[in-house]
Amino acid sequence: MREAISVPYLKAGLKEWIFTTDHKKIGILYLTTTYIFFLVAGLFGLVIRFEQNSPGYQIVPPDFYNYLLTGHGAVLLLWWGIASHIGGLGNFLLPLMIGAKDVAFPRLNALSWWAFFGASVLVLLTLIPGNHIKMMWTGYPPYAGNPDAGVTALYVFIIHLIGVSSIATAVNFITTYIKMRAPGITFWNTNMFVHALIAANVIQLVGVPSIAGAVTMLLLDTYLGTNFYNPAKGGDPLIYQNVFWFYSHPVVYVMILPIFGMFSEIVSTFSRKPLFGYTSMIFAIWCITFLSFIVWIHHMFVSGVPDWARVLMSYTTILIAVPTGIKIFNWMGTLYKGAIILRVPMLYALGGIFMFLIGGLTGIPNAMVAIDLGISDSLFIVGHFHYVLGMALTFGIFGGITYWFPKMTGRMYPENIGKLSFWLIFAGANIFYFFQMIAGILGNPRRYPDYPPIPEWVTLHHIQTIGALILGVGILVYTVGLIKGLTSGEEASDNPWESQSLEWRLPSPAPVDNFGDEPPKVEPDYHPYKYGAPPAF
Amino acid sequence: MAQGAVHHEPHHEVSIWPLPIGVGVLLMPISFTMFFHYGWQLPGLIAGGVGLALILVGAAGWANEHFTAEKEEGFGWVGILSFIISEVVIFGTLFAAFWTARVTHADEWSAWVPEGISLGMAGILTLILWASSFTIFRAETALEEEGDSGKALTWVFLTFALGLTFVVLHVKEWIHLWGEGFTLSSHMYGTGFYALTGLHTSHVIVGLIAQIYAMWLLASGRMNREKPTMLRATSAYWHFVDVMWMLVAGTAYLVGTAAL
Ligand code: HEM
Ligand SMILES: [Cu+2]
Repeated sequence: MREAISVPYLKAGLKEWIFTTDHKKIGILYLTTTYIFFLVAGLFGLVIRFEQNSPGYQIVPPDFYNYLLTGHGAVLLLWWGIASHIGGLGNFLLPLMIGAKDVAFPRLNALSWWAFFGASVLVLLTLIPGNHIKMMWTGYPPYAGNPDAGVTALYVFIIHLIGVSSIATAVNFITTYIKMRAPGITFWNTNMFVHALIAANVIQLVGVPSIAGAVTMLLLDTYLGTNFYNPAKGGDPLIYQNVFWFYSHPVVYVMILPIFGMFSEIVSTFSRKPLFGYTSMIFAIWCITFLSFIVWIHHMFVSGVPDWARVLMSYTTILIAVPTGIKIFNWMGTLYKGAIILRVPMLYALGGIFMFLIGGLTGIPNAMVAIDLGISDSLFIVGHFHYVLGMALTFGIFGGITYWFPKMTGRMYPENIGKLSFWLIFAGANIFYFFQMIAGILGNPRRYPDYPPIPEWVTLHHIQTIGALILGVGILVYTVGLIKGLTSGEEASDNPWESQSLEWRLPSPAPVDNFGDEPPKVEPDYHPYKYGAPPAF
Repeated sequence: MAQGAVHHEPHHEVSIWPLPIGVGVLLMPISFTMFFHYGWQLPGLIAGGVGLALILVGAAGWANEHFTAEKEEGFGWVGILSFIISEVVIFGTLFAAFWTARVTHADEWSAWVPEGISLGMAGILTLILWASSFTIFRAETALEEEGDSGKALTWVFLTFALGLTFVVLHVKEWIHLWGEGFTLSSHMYGTGFYALTGLHTSHVIVGLIAQIYAMWLLASGRMNREKPTMLRATSAYWHFVDVMWMLVAGTAYLVGTAAL
């Protein structure tokens, strides 16, 4: 432990926050922004839910419904799904976990943040009635270029600015990991969160330019009269779908891998056991990273692609289940005979693993062409990806925030509020999304505000609404906990969870210059999961 | 920065330059949307101009801060290599569109090939870029191995002159073809041709700007044998642009005009 005076990074003036190049402050800026966007887009979701509660049009006109659905999807995927834990927690933790003073290019990091901020401003601009975007987050042509779909340019530029931010962050993080590890931190004792973060950023580096190309061609077609997606002049709308999904399938792993990383950190700490299968975990991460780029056709099974492509990518999709299964197996192995401590982060991690398991199992039928032909574009798909993506992800981020809350704020997240929020969210989400999948199997298509008044369907929608309300209350309770923790939470010690990992050797909240001018000295046998004795808490 | 054992008072790291660049980057889409979507030409142009100015000012301030205040960490090299991976994929999306159209519309394609398109021009452009890859390579060795900034400056200048010639000839070629009625919107060959060559030329221009900047750094003594990363990065980027040109020309000119 350093004796020198430690200035907490949080104690800074307004000017120091605005012009900051400190990875910790930038992380907090991301996290706060994405959290607010999460709440607003979540509210959009509730409105969508109420609209579907009964057949016929309930509370919003269909046109506005399309805007709500587009905003809900785009913001939750890009803000909550990517930026909250890569820009947010990733920024905060990467240098701390590898013992670095900052990221490799601190100013570029600040620029990433400002580009992301610009994208956020563009999203806010779409709130102005004439500026709505209504092409759904997927933006398929030809519809996306149609005046009915809203301001195509804003949709495209939101993706461009997020893209600039993502590529810059990827370049930055990858360079940081390669070049700035403290002596003694190697590939074989790096935190699982960092492994996952780097894999996710490799996907970003290779994938983001692909979606950027897709939407740029859309922009040119719409405003400059090019023919990329115009079959009458030799173009092909399926190009869009291919290039779009070449990124947008792998992106689900950008979203979920760091979440898996957090599960690993939390499960190991709160089982007081070394992470089971550490090496196989790294292997699984990189297998998933590679395979994720050769499965995208599973989003196009009904788009009219050749059979050989459908069969091939059906197999590769199922193959991804293997490394994914390895990870779940490893968490179980870690829990097995562990001294399990059910604090709030652990509850969220276990809940998240459960949600992912349900989501993963319901993903396998989607991967079979014959089955998917029947359920594609139904509410079954929506239920499936809310399990894997919506909920496993949210549980992971909520768990991660409570786990690193002491290091970020110097205070503890209130335990009781955390537990209450967990059970509400867990119950609400399962009621909502399970019955959404059933409605889908019965044939209810996705993306429509209206449906025929079939009594069974109506009942299923009522149940979903109840679930959604419980879920909403749970998120609200969690948010109250954040505010309470920030303002009056119990003061945190440096290492409240008695973790073995490097970031916990710093004071809480972390000092402005991390470990100081000299890189930290770690023991020759340092490992982030070297647990043995039960903790004192 | 960190100089061995000297103790530093911990302080908040700040830089004012990313913010203006960020605002500039935000003004670009706003400018485009005003101009093209809403048809507000003047506000659109103003927003674009202000945005561009902010980006330039920010970039200059940033660069100055970097070269005056900091020691060279040499991270830029890894950074630029990973960025180039991203760039390759951007080109990949346009190739995908071009090649798909070329294959699925093989029967109509020959009717789309304009009279005036000449492989000779593509050849000349290729030779120019090859020469420029050689000159920038010489600049690099002059700086890194001989430590001769003056010599390096001369070689960078030659590279720049070659690159500029490339752009001028290319633009003349576009004007000529466009005049023949071969435009962006005529058909997928037109779209693919201008998109690929346009994207490539925009990269050449970025490379030229980097070279102007490198020349200034060399001339003012900010870049030297101890701090060569900027030149190495510029050179790596330029080699990438050169290699990419062969794929672009091979596609836009050879595959485009060949009778299959
Ligand atoms: C466990 C393995 C998984 C399998 C086998 C799988 C399979 C699939 C398939 C085949 C589809 C396309 C269905 C259709 O449109 O007809 C799909 C959709 C989707 N999946 Fe997954 N998935 C898996 C994991 C994930 C993960 C980890 C996420 C996110 C974190 C995710 C998010 C999504 C999303 C957002 C969609 C909907 C895309 C759209 O708008 O059409 N999936 N999944
Ligand atoms: Cu997919």
